[in-house]
Amino acid sequence: MSRSCGKLDEAGVALPPDGAYPAKLGNIINLFESLPEDERRETLVSYADNAKNQEPRAREKFDLADVRKDEECMDTVGVYLHVDKNGKAHIRMTLGPEVQTLTRSMTAILCKGLEGSTPQEILDLPSDFVTRIVGAELVRVRSQTIYYVLTRIKSICKVYLDRQRMAQVA
Amino acid sequence: MATYPTQYAHPEALVETDWLEKHLKDEGIRIVESNEDILLYDTGHLPGAVHIDWRADLQDSIIRDYIAPEKFARLCGRHGITPDTTCIFYGDKANWWACYALWAFRLFGHENVKILNGGRDKWKAEQRPMTREVPKYPATNYPVPKKRFDKEIRAFFDEALTHSKSSKPLIDVRSPGEYKGEITHMPEYPQEGVLRGGHIPGAKSMPWKTATNDDATFKPADELAKIYLDQCGVKPGTDTIVYCRIGERSSHTWFVLTYLLGLDKVRNYDGSWTEWGNKVGAPIEKSV
Repeated sequence: MSRSCGKLDEAGVALPPDGAYPAKLGNIINLFESLPEDERRETLVSYADNAKNQEPRAREKFDLADVRKDEECMDTVGVYLHVDKNGKAHIRMTLGPEVQTLTRSMTAILCKGLEGSTPQEILDLPSDFVTRIVGAELVRVRSQTIYYVLTRIKSICKVYLDRQRMAQVA
Repeated sequence: MATYPTQYAHPEALVETDWLEKHLKDEGIRIVESNEDILLYDTGHLPGAVHIDWRADLQDSIIRDYIAPEKFARLCGRHGITPDTTCIFYGDKANWWACYALWAFRLFGHENVKILNGGRDKWKAEQRPMTREVPKYPATNYPVPKKRFDKEIRAFFDEALTHSKSSKPLIDVRSPGEYKGEITHMPEYPQEGVLRGGHIPGAKSMPWKTATNDDATFKPADELAKIYLDQCGVKPGTDTIVYCRIGERSSHTWFVLTYLLGLDKVRNYDGSWTEWGNKVGAPIEKSV
């Protein structure tokens, strides 16, 4: 986990310290926060272009798969979770053709940023960082949809952890 | 037996993809992309097209209303648009937002407006050129519009209420589920906070998409006439109000009625269901 603290959001509310985020995600957050608005958009589009690279690869096996079409999103989104022997999560995602660009961006960002975190770390992740990546302007105009991918990833991690706990109890 | 028009009332309000590809660099036109997907323009657009965001560029950020005339003039000036420029709008979702942007331009009195038939989806499906290069045009000094044409093409809550009470034509262009009151937002779209489901009393249901073909182009004039004149009961000279959830889908229907069928008294109630469904004292109707 990366370290530093003391940042405030636009309303002056203290943000969680950067140490609250996995290191890879912290680096991505720092990158986006350093960019002017036009470069932020370009970088979001670059990540969107790479969303296809987050799809499951041949011969990859997963502990859980959650493929569904929700009302919050324009098309089907699949989330695939593999937890390795060290307890680290590896996430892949599939996106239907109608999924919007911002959702594609968040898919690539989160798959890369959360690579190697544990399911519990992902579940505990504060969601405020999404606005720091996307920026105030895009948040203002699309506030309803930017959390969707994070919610889906957290959801599959929660199912995984619940099943682990149940298996231990049994 | 009823006779139906064989051509659009204002065929000049549409351009076809084939024509536009040959006229991308014409003087006096400005191609304007307006989308639901806020980053779609950045992923690639028609060569020379500028981007106008329906919310960030056209709506006031403090008051629920459109931008002030001064801001509209600045917006046009920034994109090198003059009052004589022919603005050709296109976008995703079969041109919903393109029609919305066109309607907003008409609200400020900009007269030369057209829609690219089939919009972005058809252009892309036909593998026509796209670019990520953002064009720069010399800024113009667009004069501040002296008036906004609210009275002519926009309806407010009180007017929609009077319309409803006097049984004048009202068309609800949302999905059937929204009209019936089963849901309060479009299927597949995020909930945007409406307390009640249903429709304005007396409104007829005619989802916007009824006016389009599978390739996002508009249906022929005779089919549109059957849909709106026969099934919705609208006719020339009669005040008609169209609405949806926030006025975007109904802009599409407004364009069809005004430009393709040539009806001259059609207004878009942009407050739409997000206002009516929440308004204290506003009557609603539900249906099965």
